[in-house]
Amino acid sequence: MDLSAVQTALADKSYSALAPLCDDILLQAASRGATTDEWPYAVHLLAHLYLNDLNSARFFWKSLPQEVKDARPELAAVWRIGQCLWNRDYAGVYTAAQGFEWGTDLADFITSFLESYRKRIFQLLTSAYSTIIVADVAHFMGMSEEDATNYAVQNGWSLDAATNMLTVKKPKAQTNQKLDASKLQRLTECVFHLEH
Amino acid sequence: MESLEALVAHIQGLSGSPEEVAHLHSLLKQADGDSLRSHAAALVPFLTHLSPEAHSLGYLYLLEACATSGANLGADFLVTVADFLTACSADQIRLAPDKFLNVCRVFKDQVMLLNTPIRGIAPLRAAVRKIQASPEQLTPVHAEYLLLCLLAKQYKAGLSVLEDDIFEVDQPKDLFLYCYYGGMIYIGLKKFPKASELLHNAVTAPMSSLNAIAVEAYKKYILVSLIQNGQVPSFPKYTSATAQRNMKNHAQIYVELSTCYGNGRYTDLETFVESNAAVFQSDNNLGLAKQVLSSMYKRNIQRLTQTYLTLSLEDIARSVQLDTPRDAEMHVLRMIEDGEIHATINQKDGMVSFHEDPEQYKSVEMVEHIDTSIQRLTALSKKLASIDENMACDPAYLLKGGITGDSTTTTSTPFHTSIFEMI
Repeated sequence: MDLSAVQTALADKSYSALAPLCDDILLQAASRGATTDEWPYAVHLLAHLYLNDLNSARFFWKSLPQEVKDARPELAAVWRIGQCLWNRDYAGVYTAAQGFEWGTDLADFITSFLESYRKRIFQLLTSAYSTIIVADVAHFMGMSEEDATNYAVQNGWSLDAATNMLTVKKPKAQTNQKLDASKLQRLTECVFHLEH
Repeated sequence: MESLEALVAHIQGLSGSPEEVAHLHSLLKQADGDSLRSHAAALVPFLTHLSPEAHSLGYLYLLEACATSGANLGADFLVTVADFLTACSADQIRLAPDKFLNVCRVFKDQVMLLNTPIRGIAPLRAAVRKIQASPEQLTPVHAEYLLLCLLAKQYKAGLSVLEDDIFEVDQPKDLFLYCYYGGMIYIGLKKFPKASELLHNAVTAPMSSLNAIAVEAYKKYILVSLIQNGQVPSFPKYTSATAQRNMKNHAQIYVELSTCYGNGRYTDLETFVESNAAVFQSDNNLGLAKQVLSSMYKRNIQRLTQTYLTLSLEDIARSVQLDTPRDAEMHVLRMIEDGEIHATINQKDGMVSFHEDPEQYKSVEMVEHIDTSIQRLTALSKKLASIDENMACDPAYLLKGGITGDSTTTTSTPFHTSIFEMI
């Protein structure tokens, strides 16, 4: 089995391209009846999580034979992250990711995953809350209260120290207002046509 | 019959121009039959003298004779078939579609027998594209491919054939299976709108007698509709009379479930699902039934957004039967994450404010979206108009229409109105 493409993608840190790449190589290899002992299962599973494609991650895990799961502690550790994501155990994701000694292949990938996960959660908090206590931000972001406060304040949130309550600053939605005139023309014609 | 050696020589010699291939085809037809099949085991070595790519038609005849002979052909045979399906020339194999479909079917049965469905996915995906005259054509390979995707839990792989709009169907069974398996793939990926669309097609497809696939599709359709909309739409007018009359009798529990859901009480629904768990289990629908149950919190919270502008977490918890305000907060957060409601949580006051959809329909993306939708629908409308015209010119149709006094325009109206509803 030729894993050089996977290695290259890992080395280049083009993590978002990994999941489709791994899917494809695995299917091709399987059709030739190749053994998959060498397959980088943990990378493949994490690649799905990186894209927040929990369904594919879940089915990938389910499709693996028990002996594959048992023999690879690193794979099982990635799946623990997946379980936390699936159950929306927001804080558990960090504990699971930081509570394992990752091999050299995965360490950078895990760091990068956590970074993008943290960014996504911060966006979620920004859109879902108008005020939120510091402890909850720390919980969701997997940080100490002090770090969480700093992170939030840097993003423009304001802290009410008396109540330990953060007020969320919503970014102004930026929409591209430049319209393609021909599209508008076509739309107008269509509406005109429907009305007559 | 000529010797196998001579036949192989013909295949090697006559695989160039279309005329040669046509001549070869007639020779192959003569050679085909039991005699070729009885030599099945001896045929395998000859395959190595042929190229799956250049000699596709001859290769296909020999391969099909091997595959359907029932002889035990060994593990390598699957690799041979897989390579052939990936490499063969589409132009040549389309001369003998039945042979090709046989090979695909035997291949699918074999990988299932070996309990390695994943082996069949890449080859059958290639096979679908080879045998199709256009991406709009449904083939029997579609359903086989989707089945393997489901068994191998490679749900995402299934999307590659599901994303094409199907327009031509030869065999009703192909369509029913395609819609049913396709619905299951989308259910697995939690894309419920697409799932319900496919299942709906299986339920409402023309049928003169009820079939098991449609009944199972209907059961799943009810569950998916509840998850997605909280209600099950009644059959549209174009549903076959058979389905309208009999479908519900075969899905009694599911119909009762939707009635129970309509009452909006979580505990009642929970009791109902628990007391009928055995039925759902035996239909392999228990997981989906549980998703129906948990969707009720969501539905009830969504309903609140229609009545209130702001509401305390405590009140939300009480009215949707959740234990604590914190549970309610997590449910609301989850729904915001999934884009199912527009709201902000204010922890200071313990309140949630509900918002209108922030989409203002003036962004460039939205104009693009509307534009592509319109283009897609005008193309579809043209296509339907041309079918309609063809049908109106069909003597068989005219004969029937003349007797019943039906006019062609009445058959076409449902199509056109539905198109404009879609915009």
